[in-house]
Amino acid sequence: MLRLEGVAAGYGRTLALADVSLDVRQGELVSLIGANGAGKSTTLKTISGLLKPSAGRITWDGAEIGGLSPREILARGIAHCPEGRRVFPHLTVRENLEMGALLRRDRAAVATDLDAMCDRFPRLRERLAQAAGTLSGGEQQMLAIARALMSRPRLVMFDEPSLGLAPSLVEQVFQIVREIRANGTTVLMVEQNAMAALRLCDRAFLLETGHVVQAGTGAELLASPDVRAAYLGGA
Amino acid sequence: MDQLLQHLVNGTVLGGTYALLGIGLTLIFGVMRVVNFTHGELYAFGAYMTYAFVSLLGVNFYLALALATLAGVALGAALELVLLRRMRRADIDSVMLVMIGASLVLQNAEMWAWGGVAKLIPNPFAGSPLVLGPVSVLPLRLFVLGVSAALLLGFWLMLDRTRAGVAMRATFQDPETAALMGVRVGWVNTATFAIGSGLAAAAGALLGPVFMVSPTMGDLVGLKAFAIVILGGLGSLPGATLGGFALGFVEEFAGGYLSTEYRDAFGFLLIILVLALKPQGLVPAKERIG
Repeated sequence: MLRLEGVAAGYGRTLALADVSLDVRQGELVSLIGANGAGKSTTLKTISGLLKPSAGRITWDGAEIGGLSPREILARGIAHCPEGRRVFPHLTVRENLEMGALLRRDRAAVATDLDAMCDRFPRLRERLAQAAGTLSGGEQQMLAIARALMSRPRLVMFDEPSLGLAPSLVEQVFQIVREIRANGTTVLMVEQNAMAALRLCDRAFLLETGHVVQAGTGAELLASPDVRAAYLGGA
Repeated sequence: MDQLLQHLVNGTVLGGTYALLGIGLTLIFGVMRVVNFTHGELYAFGAYMTYAFVSLLGVNFYLALALATLAGVALGAALELVLLRRMRRADIDSVMLVMIGASLVLQNAEMWAWGGVAKLIPNPFAGSPLVLGPVSVLPLRLFVLGVSAALLLGFWLMLDRTRAGVAMRATFQDPETAALMGVRVGWVNTATFAIGSGLAAAAGALLGPVFMVSPTMGDLVGLKAFAIVILGGLGSLPGATLGGFALGFVEEFAGGYLSTEYRDAFGFLLIILVLALKPQGLVPAKERIG
Protein backbone atom coordinates (compact mmCIF):
# COMPACT_ATOMS: atom_id res chain seq x y z
CA MET A 1 0.00 0.00 0.00
CA LEU A 2 2.96 2.35 0.68
CA ARG A 3 5.98 2.35 -1.59
CA LEU A 4 9.13 4.47 -1.62
CA GLU A 5 11.34 4.35 -4.72
CA GLY A 6 14.77 5.97 -4.70
CA VAL A 7 13.70 8.66 -2.26
CA ALA A 8 16.20 11.37 -1.31
CA ALA A 9 15.55 14.10 1.21
CA GLY A 10 17.38 16.32 3.65
CA TYR A 11 17.58 19.41 5.78
CA GLY A 12 18.80 22.45 3.87
CA ARG A 13 21.89 21.33 1.99
CA THR A 14 22.59 18.21 4.03
CA LEU A 15 21.17 15.13 2.44
CA ALA A 16 19.98 12.71 5.11
CA LEU A 17 18.38 10.24 2.72
CA ALA A 18 20.27 9.35 -0.44
CA ASP A 19 18.36 6.43 -1.92
CA VAL A 20 15.61 4.79 0.08
CA SER A 21 13.35 2.19 -1.48
CA LEU A 22 10.94 0.22 0.64
CA ASP A 23 7.38 -0.96 0.69
CA VAL A 24 4.75 -1.66 3.31
CA ARG A 25 1.88 -4.00 2.55
CA GLN A 26 -1.61 -3.89 3.96
CA GLY A 27 -1.79 -5.39 7.45
CA GLU A 28 1.96 -5.72 7.93
CA LEU A 29 4.20 -4.64 10.78
CA VAL A 30 7.37 -3.32 9.19
CA SER A 31 10.47 -2.18 11.09
CA LEU A 32 13.14 0.27 10.02
CA ILE A 33 16.39 -0.36 11.83
CA GLY A 34 19.82 1.19 11.64
CA ALA A 35 22.34 3.23 13.58
CA ASN A 36 21.87 6.78 14.81
CA GLY A 37 21.83 9.18 11.88
CA ALA A 38 21.16 6.44 9.33
CA GLY A 39 18.02 8.27 8.20
CA LYS A 40 15.26 6.35 9.96
CA SER A 41 13.44 9.38 11.40
CA THR A 42 14.03 11.33 8.21
CA THR A 43 12.32 8.57 6.25
CA LEU A 44 9.22 8.86 8.43
CA LYS A 45 9.25 12.67 8.23
CA THR A 46 9.45 12.50 4.46
CA ILE A 47 6.52 10.09 4.29
CA SER A 48 4.37 12.25 6.61
CA GLY A 49 5.13 15.41 4.63
CA LEU A 50 7.25 17.28 7.18
CA LEU A 51 10.07 17.06 4.64
CA LYS A 52 9.77 17.22 0.86
CA PRO A 53 11.55 14.50 -1.09
CA SER A 54 14.17 15.99 -3.42
CA ALA A 55 14.16 12.88 -5.62
CA GLY A 56 12.27 9.64 -6.00
CA ARG A 57 8.63 8.67 -5.67
CA ILE A 58 6.39 7.99 -2.69
CA THR A 59 3.13 6.28 -3.60
CA TRP A 60 0.15 5.36 -1.44
CA ASP A 61 -2.42 3.00 -2.97
CA GLY A 62 -0.65 3.69 -6.25
CA ALA A 63 -1.06 7.46 -6.14
CA GLU A 64 1.93 9.81 -5.76
CA ILE A 65 1.94 11.54 -2.35
CA GLY A 66 5.51 12.87 -2.24
CA GLY A 67 5.52 16.61 -1.49
CA LEU A 68 1.98 16.81 -0.14
CA SER A 69 1.43 18.69 3.14
CA PRO A 70 1.25 16.77 6.44
CA ARG A 71 -2.45 17.62 6.57
CA GLU A 72 -3.10 16.02 3.17
CA ILE A 73 -1.06 12.95 4.08
CA LEU A 74 -2.96 12.52 7.35
CA ALA A 75 -6.26 12.93 5.52
CA ARG A 76 -5.22 10.01 3.31
CA GLY A 77 -4.86 7.78 6.37
CA ILE A 78 -1.20 7.95 7.40
CA ALA A 79 -0.52 9.02 10.99
CA HIS A 80 2.94 9.79 12.38
CA CYS A 81 3.71 9.40 16.08
CA PRO A 82 6.93 11.40 16.36
CA GLU A 83 10.13 10.62 18.23
CA GLY A 84 10.28 11.83 21.81
CA ARG A 85 6.48 11.61 22.27
CA ARG A 86 5.94 15.30 21.59
CA VAL A 87 2.67 15.61 23.48
CA PHE A 88 1.45 19.21 23.79
CA PRO A 89 2.61 19.86 27.36
CA HIS A 90 0.21 22.67 28.25
CA LEU A 91 -2.87 21.11 26.67
CA THR A 92 -4.89 18.69 28.76
CA VAL A 93 -4.82 14.98 28.00
CA ARG A 94 -8.31 15.32 26.51
CA GLU A 95 -7.23 18.24 24.30
CA ASN A 96 -4.22 16.24 23.14
CA LEU A 97 -6.47 13.36 22.12
CA GLU A 98 -8.85 15.74 20.37
CA MET A 99 -5.94 17.25 18.46
CA GLY A 100 -5.31 13.77 17.07
CA ALA A 101 -8.83 13.78 15.64
CA LEU A 102 -8.64 17.37 14.34
CA LEU A 103 -9.42 16.48 10.74
CA ARG A 104 -12.37 14.23 11.54
CA ARG A 105 -15.86 15.62 11.15
CA ASP A 106 -17.75 12.74 12.80
CA ARG A 107 -17.86 14.26 16.28
CA ALA A 108 -19.94 11.48 17.81
CA ALA A 109 -17.56 8.77 16.62
CA VAL A 110 -14.60 10.82 17.88
CA ALA A 111 -16.19 10.88 21.35
CA THR A 112 -16.67 7.10 21.18
CA ASP A 113 -13.05 6.60 20.11
CA LEU A 114 -11.83 8.86 22.91
CA ASP A 115 -13.74 6.73 25.35
CA ALA A 116 -12.30 3.56 23.84
CA MET A 117 -8.76 4.98 24.17
CA CYS A 118 -9.45 5.62 27.84
CA ASP A 119 -10.60 2.01 28.23
CA ARG A 120 -7.39 0.83 26.61
CA PHE A 121 -5.23 3.24 28.63
CA PRO A 122 -6.97 3.67 32.00
CA ARG A 123 -4.25 6.03 33.25
CA LEU A 124 -5.31 8.51 30.58
CA ARG A 125 -8.91 8.49 31.77
CA GLU A 126 -7.78 9.36 35.29
CA ARG A 127 -5.78 12.27 33.91
CA LEU A 128 -8.08 13.60 31.16
CA ALA A 129 -8.28 17.09 32.65
CA GLN A 130 -4.59 17.25 33.57
CA ALA A 131 -1.93 19.04 31.50
CA ALA A 132 -0.05 16.46 29.43
CA GLY A 133 3.28 17.87 30.63
CA THR A 134 2.55 16.59 34.13
CA LEU A 135 2.36 12.96 32.98
CA SER A 136 5.20 10.47 33.49
CA GLY A 137 7.30 9.44 30.50
CA GLY A 138 5.42 6.18 30.07
CA GLU A 139 2.05 7.88 30.30
CA GLN A 140 3.15 10.46 27.74
CA GLN A 141 4.13 7.68 25.36
CA MET A 142 0.70 6.05 25.80
CA LEU A 143 -0.89 9.43 25.12
CA ALA A 144 1.22 9.97 22.00
CA ILE A 145 0.20 6.53 20.70
CA ALA A 146 -3.47 7.10 21.51
CA ARG A 147 -3.34 10.56 19.90
CA ALA A 148 -1.95 9.09 16.67
CA LEU A 149 -4.72 6.47 16.64
CA MET A 150 -7.43 9.10 17.15
CA SER A 151 -7.24 9.98 13.45
CA ARG A 152 -8.27 6.36 12.65
CA PRO A 153 -5.27 5.86 10.38
CA ARG A 154 -4.85 2.95 7.99
CA LEU A 155 -1.09 3.18 8.49
CA VAL A 156 0.50 4.41 11.70
CA MET A 157 4.21 5.21 11.90
CA PHE A 158 5.97 5.03 15.27
CA ASP A 159 9.33 6.71 15.73
CA GLU A 160 11.29 5.15 18.60
CA PRO A 161 8.26 4.37 20.76
CA SER A 162 10.41 2.69 23.43
CA LEU A 163 13.00 5.47 23.72
CA GLY A 164 13.77 6.48 27.29
CA LEU A 165 11.28 4.11 28.91
CA ALA A 166 11.90 1.66 31.75
CA PRO A 167 12.27 -1.97 30.59
CA SER A 168 8.86 -3.01 31.92
CA LEU A 169 7.23 -0.17 29.97
CA VAL A 170 9.19 -1.02 26.81
CA GLU A 171 7.60 -4.48 26.81
CA GLN A 172 4.19 -2.85 27.31
CA VAL A 173 4.70 -0.51 24.37
CA PHE A 174 5.67 -3.37 22.07
CA GLN A 175 2.59 -5.27 23.23
CA ILE A 176 0.45 -2.26 22.26
CA VAL A 177 2.09 -2.10 18.83
CA ARG A 178 1.30 -5.78 18.37
CA GLU A 179 -2.33 -5.17 19.32
CA ILE A 180 -2.66 -2.25 16.94
CA ARG A 181 -1.55 -4.44 14.08
CA ALA A 182 -3.83 -7.26 15.24
CA ASN A 183 -6.73 -4.80 15.06
CA GLY A 184 -6.05 -4.30 11.37
CA THR A 185 -3.93 -1.13 11.31
CA THR A 186 -0.74 -1.38 9.32
CA VAL A 187 2.37 -0.33 11.25
CA LEU A 188 5.71 1.11 10.18
CA MET A 189 8.06 1.37 13.14
CA VAL A 190 11.50 2.90 13.65
CA GLU A 191 13.43 1.33 16.52
CA GLN A 192 16.91 1.61 17.99
CA ASN A 193 16.30 -1.63 19.82
CA ALA A 194 16.97 -3.75 16.73
CA MET A 195 16.59 -7.11 18.47
CA ALA A 196 13.12 -6.32 19.79
CA ALA A 197 12.06 -4.68 16.53
CA LEU A 198 13.14 -7.65 14.42
CA ARG A 199 11.37 -10.13 16.69
CA LEU A 200 8.18 -8.10 16.53
CA CYS A 201 7.94 -7.34 12.83
CA ASP A 202 6.94 -9.22 9.70
CA ARG A 203 9.55 -7.57 7.55
CA ALA A 204 12.36 -5.11 8.14
CA PHE A 205 14.65 -2.74 6.27
CA LEU A 206 18.16 -1.91 7.41
CA LEU A 207 19.26 1.68 6.76
CA GLU A 208 22.86 2.86 6.59
CA THR A 209 23.81 6.49 5.84
CA GLY A 210 20.66 7.18 3.91
CA HIS A 211 20.56 3.93 1.93
CA VAL A 212 18.54 0.77 2.39
CA VAL A 213 21.26 -1.90 2.55
CA GLN A 214 19.24 -4.97 3.52
CA ALA A 215 15.64 -6.07 3.43
CA GLY A 216 13.88 -9.22 4.47
CA THR A 217 11.70 -10.83 7.07
CA GLY A 218 12.47 -10.17 10.69
CA ALA A 219 13.86 -13.68 11.05
CA GLU A 220 16.11 -13.26 8.00
CA LEU A 221 17.61 -10.05 9.30
CA LEU A 222 18.01 -11.55 12.76
CA ALA A 223 20.02 -14.34 11.19
CA SER A 224 22.09 -12.08 8.96
CA PRO A 225 25.74 -11.97 10.09
CA ASP A 226 26.06 -8.29 9.11
CA VAL A 227 23.07 -7.28 11.17
CA ARG A 228 24.21 -9.38 14.10
CA ALA A 229 27.68 -7.89 13.99
CA ALA A 230 26.58 -4.29 13.66
CA TYR A 231 23.40 -4.03 15.70
CA LEU A 232 22.89 -7.03 17.89
CA GLY A 233 26.20 -6.98 19.72
CA GLY A 234 28.12 -9.59 17.72
CA ALA A 235 27.32 -13.13 16.66
CA MET B 1 -8.96 57.30 50.74
CA ASP B 2 -11.30 58.82 48.19
CA GLN B 3 -8.34 59.74 46.06
CA LEU B 4 -7.03 56.19 46.33
CA LEU B 5 -10.34 54.79 45.06
CA GLN B 6 -10.34 57.29 42.24
CA HIS B 7 -6.85 56.24 41.14
CA LEU B 8 -7.85 52.61 41.40
CA VAL B 9 -10.75 53.20 39.01
CA ASN B 10 -8.60 55.17 36.57
CA GLY B 11 -5.84 52.58 36.72
CA THR B 12 -8.29 49.79 35.94
CA VAL B 13 -9.62 51.64 32.90
CA LEU B 14 -6.11 52.27 31.59
CA GLY B 15 -4.97 48.75 32.50
CA GLY B 16 -7.75 47.13 30.49
CA THR B 17 -6.59 48.70 27.24
CA TYR B 18 -2.94 48.04 28.11
CA ALA B 19 -3.84 44.38 28.60
CA LEU B 20 -5.39 44.30 25.11
CA LEU B 21 -2.21 45.77 23.67
CA GLY B 22 0.05 43.42 25.59
CA ILE B 23 -1.91 40.28 24.75
CA GLY B 24 -1.80 41.09 21.05
CA LEU B 25 1.95 41.56 21.12
CA THR B 26 2.77 38.57 23.30
CA LEU B 27 0.51 36.31 21.23
CA ILE B 28 2.40 37.23 18.08
CA PHE B 29 5.74 36.67 19.77
CA GLY B 30 4.66 33.40 21.35
CA VAL B 31 3.29 31.80 18.21
CA MET B 32 5.53 33.29 15.54
CA ARG B 33 8.69 34.36 17.41
CA VAL B 34 8.27 37.72 15.69
CA VAL B 35 9.17 40.87 17.59
CA ASN B 36 6.43 43.04 16.17
CA PHE B 37 7.56 46.64 15.88
CA THR B 38 4.39 47.59 13.99
CA HIS B 39 2.23 47.03 17.07
CA GLY B 40 2.14 50.68 18.11
CA GLU B 41 1.29 51.70 14.55
CA LEU B 42 -1.63 49.28 14.48
CA TYR B 43 -2.84 51.03 17.63
CA ALA B 44 -2.59 54.40 15.86
CA PHE B 45 -4.23 52.88 12.80
CA GLY B 46 -7.21 51.76 14.89
CA ALA B 47 -7.59 55.27 16.29
CA TYR B 48 -7.37 56.91 12.86
CA MET B 49 -9.83 54.48 11.32
CA THR B 50 -12.29 55.34 14.09
CA TYR B 51 -11.72 59.02 13.36
CA ALA B 52 -12.24 58.43 9.63
CA PHE B 53 -15.44 56.47 10.10
CA VAL B 54 -16.97 58.78 12.70
CA SER B 55 -15.85 62.23 11.53
CA LEU B 56 -15.47 61.82 7.79
CA LEU B 57 -18.05 59.18 6.91
CA GLY B 58 -20.55 59.87 9.65
CA VAL B 59 -20.74 56.25 10.74
CA ASN B 60 -22.35 55.44 14.09
CA PHE B 61 -19.72 55.55 16.88
CA TYR B 62 -20.12 51.93 18.02
CA LEU B 63 -20.13 50.58 14.48
CA ALA B 64 -17.03 52.68 13.77
CA LEU B 65 -15.17 50.99 16.66
CA ALA B 66 -16.04 47.57 15.27
CA LEU B 67 -15.07 48.56 11.72
CA ALA B 68 -11.76 50.05 12.89
CA THR B 69 -10.95 46.82 14.73
CA LEU B 70 -11.78 44.78 11.63
CA ALA B 71 -9.61 47.11 9.55
CA GLY B 72 -6.78 46.37 12.00
CA VAL B 73 -7.38 42.62 11.54
CA ALA B 74 -7.23 43.08 7.78
CA LEU B 75 -4.05 45.18 7.89
CA GLY B 76 -2.45 42.60 10.19
CA ALA B 77 -3.36 39.76 7.83
CA ALA B 78 -1.95 41.74 4.90
CA LEU B 79 1.34 42.40 6.73
CA GLU B 80 1.69 38.71 7.52
CA LEU B 81 0.87 37.55 3.99
CA VAL B 82 3.03 40.13 2.21
CA LEU B 83 6.04 40.40 4.55
CA LEU B 84 6.26 37.70 7.18
CA ARG B 85 5.11 34.67 5.23
CA ARG B 86 8.09 34.84 2.94
CA MET B 87 10.46 35.38 5.85
CA ARG B 88 9.51 32.28 7.80
CA ARG B 89 12.99 30.83 7.55
CA ALA B 90 14.79 34.15 7.99
CA ASP B 91 16.73 34.87 11.17
CA ILE B 92 15.15 36.99 13.89
CA ASP B 93 17.35 40.05 13.14
CA SER B 94 16.21 40.29 9.53
CA VAL B 95 12.58 39.96 10.59
CA MET B 96 13.07 42.70 13.21
CA LEU B 97 14.59 45.04 10.62
CA VAL B 98 11.71 44.42 8.22
CA MET B 99 9.18 45.10 10.98
CA ILE B 100 10.97 48.33 11.97
CA GLY B 101 10.83 49.35 8.32
CA ALA B 102 7.15 48.50 8.12
CA SER B 103 6.41 50.56 11.24
CA LEU B 104 8.22 53.59 9.71
CA VAL B 105 6.20 53.23 6.53
CA LEU B 106 2.94 52.97 8.47
CA GLN B 107 3.70 55.96 10.66
CA ASN B 108 4.67 58.16 7.73
CA ALA B 109 1.65 57.00 5.77
CA GLU B 110 -0.48 58.22 8.66
CA MET B 111 1.36 61.54 8.70
CA TRP B 112 0.83 61.85 4.94
CA ALA B 113 -2.81 60.84 5.01
CA TRP B 114 -3.96 62.82 8.03
CA GLY B 115 -1.41 65.58 8.52
CA GLY B 116 0.49 66.33 11.70
CA VAL B 117 -2.32 68.07 13.59
CA ALA B 118 -3.92 66.02 16.35
CA LYS B 119 -7.57 65.06 15.82
CA LEU B 120 -10.44 64.69 18.22
CA ILE B 121 -12.94 61.85 17.84
CA PRO B 122 -16.44 62.92 18.84
CA ASN B 123 -18.26 60.39 21.01
CA PRO B 124 -21.85 60.03 22.13
CA PHE B 125 -21.09 59.99 25.85
CA ALA B 126 -21.91 62.77 28.29
CA GLY B 127 -18.94 65.02 29.06
CA SER B 128 -19.80 65.24 32.75
CA PRO B 129 -18.54 62.50 35.02
CA LEU B 130 -20.72 59.94 36.71
CA VAL B 131 -20.39 60.36 40.45
CA LEU B 132 -20.53 57.08 42.36
CA GLY B 133 -20.04 57.92 46.01
CA PRO B 134 -16.48 59.17 46.41
CA VAL B 135 -15.45 58.27 42.87
CA SER B 136 -16.21 60.09 39.67
CA VAL B 137 -15.59 58.60 36.26
CA LEU B 138 -16.37 59.69 32.73
CA PRO B 139 -18.99 57.44 31.11
CA LEU B 140 -16.73 57.06 28.06
CA ARG B 141 -14.03 55.56 30.27
CA LEU B 142 -16.44 53.09 31.81
CA PHE B 143 -17.48 52.09 28.31
CA VAL B 144 -13.81 51.59 27.35
CA LEU B 145 -13.28 49.37 30.38
CA GLY B 146 -16.40 47.34 29.61
CA VAL B 147 -15.42 46.72 25.99
CA SER B 148 -11.81 45.88 26.92
CA ALA B 149 -13.02 43.36 29.49
CA ALA B 150 -15.45 41.84 26.98
CA LEU B 151 -12.71 41.54 24.34
CA LEU B 152 -10.29 39.94 26.83
CA LEU B 153 -12.94 37.48 27.96
CA GLY B 154 -14.02 36.69 24.39
CA PHE B 155 -10.45 36.13 23.31
CA TRP B 156 -9.76 33.86 26.29
CA LEU B 157 -12.94 31.83 25.63
CA MET B 158 -11.94 31.45 21.99
CA LEU B 159 -8.51 30.10 22.98
CA ASP B 160 -9.81 27.89 25.75
CA ARG B 161 -13.03 26.50 24.33
CA THR B 162 -12.97 26.36 20.55
CA ARG B 163 -11.25 23.86 18.28
CA ALA B 164 -9.45 26.72 16.53
CA GLY B 165 -8.24 27.94 19.92
CA VAL B 166 -6.90 24.53 20.91
CA ALA B 167 -5.16 24.22 17.53
CA MET B 168 -3.65 27.67 18.06
CA ARG B 169 -2.31 26.74 21.50
CA ALA B 170 -0.96 23.47 20.14
CA THR B 171 0.89 25.39 17.41
CA PHE B 172 2.18 27.78 20.07
CA GLN B 173 3.69 24.80 21.91
CA ASP B 174 5.00 22.63 19.09
CA PRO B 175 4.41 23.74 15.48
CA GLU B 176 5.88 20.61 13.89
CA THR B 177 3.71 18.19 15.85
CA ALA B 178 0.70 20.45 15.31
CA ALA B 179 1.34 20.12 11.57
CA LEU B 180 1.33 16.32 11.98
CA MET B 181 -2.16 16.63 13.54
CA GLY B 182 -3.35 18.40 10.40
CA VAL B 183 -3.07 22.01 11.57
CA ARG B 184 -2.37 24.45 8.74
CA VAL B 185 0.47 26.18 10.54
CA GLY B 186 0.76 28.90 7.91
CA TRP B 187 -2.84 29.92 8.44
CA VAL B 188 -2.46 29.84 12.21
CA ASN B 189 0.39 32.33 11.78
CA THR B 190 -1.74 34.60 9.61
CA ALA B 191 -4.66 34.39 12.02
CA THR B 192 -2.39 35.06 14.99
CA PHE B 193 -0.88 38.16 13.46
CA ALA B 194 -4.30 39.36 12.34
CA ILE B 195 -5.88 38.83 15.78
CA GLY B 196 -2.93 40.40 17.58
CA SER B 197 -3.10 43.39 15.26
CA GLY B 198 -6.87 43.58 15.71
CA LEU B 199 -6.45 43.76 19.49
CA ALA B 200 -3.95 46.62 19.09
CA ALA B 201 -6.32 48.42 16.71
CA ALA B 202 -9.18 47.88 19.16
CA ALA B 203 -7.11 49.43 21.95
CA GLY B 204 -6.40 52.42 19.67
CA ALA B 205 -10.04 52.71 18.65
CA LEU B 206 -11.08 52.71 22.32
CA LEU B 207 -8.46 55.14 23.61
CA GLY B 208 -8.58 57.41 20.54
CA PRO B 209 -11.74 59.16 21.74
CA VAL B 210 -10.34 59.38 25.30
CA PHE B 211 -7.11 61.11 24.27
CA MET B 212 -6.21 62.77 20.99
CA VAL B 213 -5.22 61.09 17.75
CA SER B 214 -1.86 62.01 16.24
CA PRO B 215 0.52 60.26 13.84
CA THR B 216 3.19 59.66 16.49
CA MET B 217 0.79 58.32 19.10
CA GLY B 218 1.97 54.82 18.26
CA ASP B 219 5.56 55.44 19.35
CA LEU B 220 5.06 55.64 23.08
CA VAL B 221 2.30 53.04 23.00
CA GLY B 222 4.50 50.61 21.07
CA LEU B 223 7.19 51.01 23.73
CA LYS B 224 4.63 50.50 26.47
CA ALA B 225 3.32 47.36 24.77
CA PHE B 226 6.85 45.93 24.89
CA ALA B 227 7.13 46.99 28.51
CA ILE B 228 3.87 45.19 29.35
CA VAL B 229 4.95 42.03 27.60
CA ILE B 230 8.40 41.99 29.20
CA LEU B 231 6.80 42.71 32.56
CA GLY B 232 4.52 39.71 32.24
CA GLY B 233 7.09 37.39 30.69
CA LEU B 234 7.55 37.08 26.92
CA GLY B 235 4.96 34.83 25.32
CA SER B 236 2.74 34.62 28.40
CA LEU B 237 -0.91 35.58 27.94
CA PRO B 238 -1.83 35.72 31.65
CA GLY B 239 1.43 37.64 32.15
CA ALA B 240 0.48 40.22 29.52
CA THR B 241 -2.91 40.74 31.19
CA LEU B 242 -1.25 41.13 34.58
CA GLY B 243 1.46 43.34 33.09
CA GLY B 244 -1.14 45.56 31.43
CA PHE B 245 -2.99 46.21 34.67
CA ALA B 246 0.28 46.59 36.61
CA LEU B 247 1.45 49.28 34.21
CA GLY B 248 -1.94 51.00 34.33
CA PHE B 249 -1.89 51.14 38.14
CA VAL B 250 1.74 52.24 38.41
CA GLU B 251 1.24 55.07 35.93
CA GLU B 252 -1.95 56.16 37.62
CA PHE B 253 -0.67 56.02 41.19
CA ALA B 254 2.77 57.44 40.49
CA GLY B 255 1.20 60.11 38.29
CA GLY B 256 -1.27 60.95 41.02
CA TYR B 257 0.92 60.89 44.12
CA LEU B 258 4.44 61.57 42.86
CA SER B 259 4.63 63.53 39.65
CA THR B 260 2.23 64.03 36.77
CA GLU B 261 5.01 65.05 34.38
CA TYR B 262 6.89 61.81 34.90
CA ARG B 263 3.95 59.40 34.87
CA ASP B 264 5.18 57.62 31.74
CA ALA B 265 8.66 57.31 33.22
CA PHE B 266 7.41 55.43 36.28
CA GLY B 267 6.09 52.65 34.10
CA PHE B 268 9.50 52.16 32.55
CA LEU B 269 11.15 52.37 35.96
CA LEU B 270 8.96 49.42 36.94
CA ILE B 271 10.18 47.47 33.91
CA ILE B 272 13.80 48.13 34.87
CA LEU B 273 13.08 46.91 38.40
CA VAL B 274 11.32 43.77 37.22
CA LEU B 275 14.08 42.98 34.72
CA ALA B 276 16.71 43.45 37.41
CA LEU B 277 14.96 41.37 40.07
CA LYS B 278 12.88 38.83 38.11
CA PRO B 279 14.16 38.83 34.54
CA GLN B 280 11.81 36.06 33.41
CA GLY B 281 8.81 38.33 34.08
CA LEU B 282 5.94 38.13 36.53
CA VAL B 283 4.50 34.85 35.21
CA PRO B 284 7.20 32.17 34.99
CA ALA B 285 7.51 30.15 31.78
CA LYS B 286 5.99 27.01 33.29
CA GLU B 287 2.59 28.59 33.68
CA ARG B 288 2.46 30.02 30.22
CA ILE B 289 -0.35 29.08 27.96
CA GLY B 290 2.16 28.28 25.22
